[in-house]
Amino acid sequence: MHVGGEVDVRSAYCAASVASLTNVLTPALFAGTAEWIARCQNWEGGIGGVPGMEAHGGYTFCGVAALVILKKEHLLNLRSLLHWVTGRQMRFEGGFQGRCNKLVDGCYSFWQAGLLPLLHRALHARGDTALSMSRWMFDQSALQEYILLCCQCPAGGLLDKPGKSRDFYHTCYCLSGLAIAQHFGSGDLHHEVVLGVPENRLQATHPVYNITPDKVVRAVMHFLQQPVPGLEPAG
Amino acid sequence: DEIGLIPCPEARYNRSPIVLVENKLGVESWCVKFLLPYVHDKLLLYRERKQWLNKDELIDITCTLLLLNPDFTTAWNVRKELILSGTLNPLKDLHLGKLALTKFPKSPETWIHRRWVLQQLIQENSLPSLVTKGNLGAAPVERIHRLVQEEMNVCSEAAGRYPSNYNAWSHRIWVLQHLGKLTVKVLLDELSSTKYWVSMHVSDHSGFHYRQFLLKSLIGRTVTDSNILIQNQMVNEQNPSLQKEESAGAEAACEEEQSVDLPHRLEEELELCTELIDTYPGHETLWCHSDETLNNSHHSPATSHMAQPMDVDGLNESSSKQSYTQETKRLKRAPVQDSLGPEMEIRFIDKVLSTCRDADQTRFAIAYRKWLVTFLGQ
Repeated sequence: MHVGGEVDVRSAYCAASVASLTNVLTPALFAGTAEWIARCQNWEGGIGGVPGMEAHGGYTFCGVAALVILKKEHLLNLRSLLHWVTGRQMRFEGGFQGRCNKLVDGCYSFWQAGLLPLLHRALHARGDTALSMSRWMFDQSALQEYILLCCQCPAGGLLDKPGKSRDFYHTCYCLSGLAIAQHFGSGDLHHEVVLGVPENRLQATHPVYNITPDKVVRAVMHFLQQPVPGLEPAG
Repeated sequence: DEIGLIPCPEARYNRSPIVLVENKLGVESWCVKFLLPYVHDKLLLYRERKQWLNKDELIDITCTLLLLNPDFTTAWNVRKELILSGTLNPLKDLHLGKLALTKFPKSPETWIHRRWVLQQLIQENSLPSLVTKGNLGAAPVERIHRLVQEEMNVCSEAAGRYPSNYNAWSHRIWVLQHLGKLTVKVLLDELSSTKYWVSMHVSDHSGFHYRQFLLKSLIGRTVTDSNILIQNQMVNEQNPSLQKEESAGAEAACEEEQSVDLPHRLEEELELCTELIDTYPGHETLWCHSDETLNNSHHSPATSHMAQPMDVDGLNESSSKQSYTQETKRLKRAPVQDSLGPEMEIRFIDKVLSTCRDADQTRFAIAYRKWLVTFLGQ
């Protein structure tokens, strides 16, 4: 993650995300990375921080998103991953848990639910004909209910679960999860499900980078127009 | 051996906020808002080269800081520098970390620093020319063993202080991989020493995941060893003149490890699951663990009567990846073990369904039954 710091799947995602947006992604830079991430998938179907670790929502998102960027998502067992993540939506609360047998947490609205768009795309690319053309493979309304009814702080901002205090991290990821739950697909296939009043509608977010899709386009266009940096330090 | 914050919003008496009772350190909460900024700023000034601090002061300041906030990476990094320059004994940091974990059992930076320190210590082991203070002077193997045991303790304590403590259990796995070298003895010891703990923490998914890690490592070990055995056999067949003195040694070691009796271990594990599921209805972790244990036992070549070299080779690859794939599942078609039969599991499930009243338990049982039936049908 930083020089002398810990090594885990998050850094692969950070690197892939930055490199792809800034047009410095080369095969050499990520040699072996995809295979390493695939080794982080375990018997549960989810992905852990490093090979051998317990499957965990945050790490799973980072692993899958990184593989999508590297175009190697098929190194994973997508079926067991799908089985694991759909099992993480809580049938009573509607929100998602980070790991089996743990409590619901608003931030997993993005880390976990955000996996379904990625999986949908990967399975679609593989020619899966059973995929829906209007819904993600999780209960979008139930997640929206959890976020709107349980994760809002009366003074503004969002949180983990009732009783917890608000913070920027939870505000970001509850809202990101809400956006995922409201918007299916894009372009011709775009389908919205907005729970409650129309003012609840958020802009769609890009399921890989978690910024709005137009920003992704602008970033990519901008850096494509820049000269590719050399390896020698400047000045 | 333990630290804690004493809720005490006002300084009512003119006395020190530090309380030491029976080796447990307490800090009255009122002083934190003075103490923390003071030491924090002092350290940052040092880092910015605006104010010099000598080594002893640095050690004191970082120690205080980390006991108040162990996720302050800079403080750990200052201590890294002190260790590398030979001024600070790395064992002290293990102790400091252990203390910090009594109050902050998840602290990611504490665990990360701990791994760095352990890496330093094992490097020293392989380079005996380096002089370290406080070297236990014991033989390297013995020293490593003691380190491992201590880490197991620290992890266990931290796991008990916070449910499903991902960082503690991850660290435990790391220690076995990098210090314990995943020997059969270590794996078996851990299997028996965690048995009681998981029975007392039936919702702790991390604890049960650890047992899956141990079992899978054992399976992987046995596969590798039987691979060696088979290879040795093939070599011996080709070169009968090659005296088995060399291979006998390796074979003997392998056979010793072969006596792990995997089917028995897996059966025990399944029994443990069954017992706990019965006693504590409605815990998803237990069903999950049960699923996977049965899966292991059904598909491990070590439990099949005749492991063909080809099967073993194929398996060796995938089990060393420690990942579970649909393809692997189809490949490994070991003969069904009577004692571990899925039929017995189905009988168990039906019994649970007929007697339990917990809605979650019923749901898990039905799902498990569905999975088993599909599984048998293959």
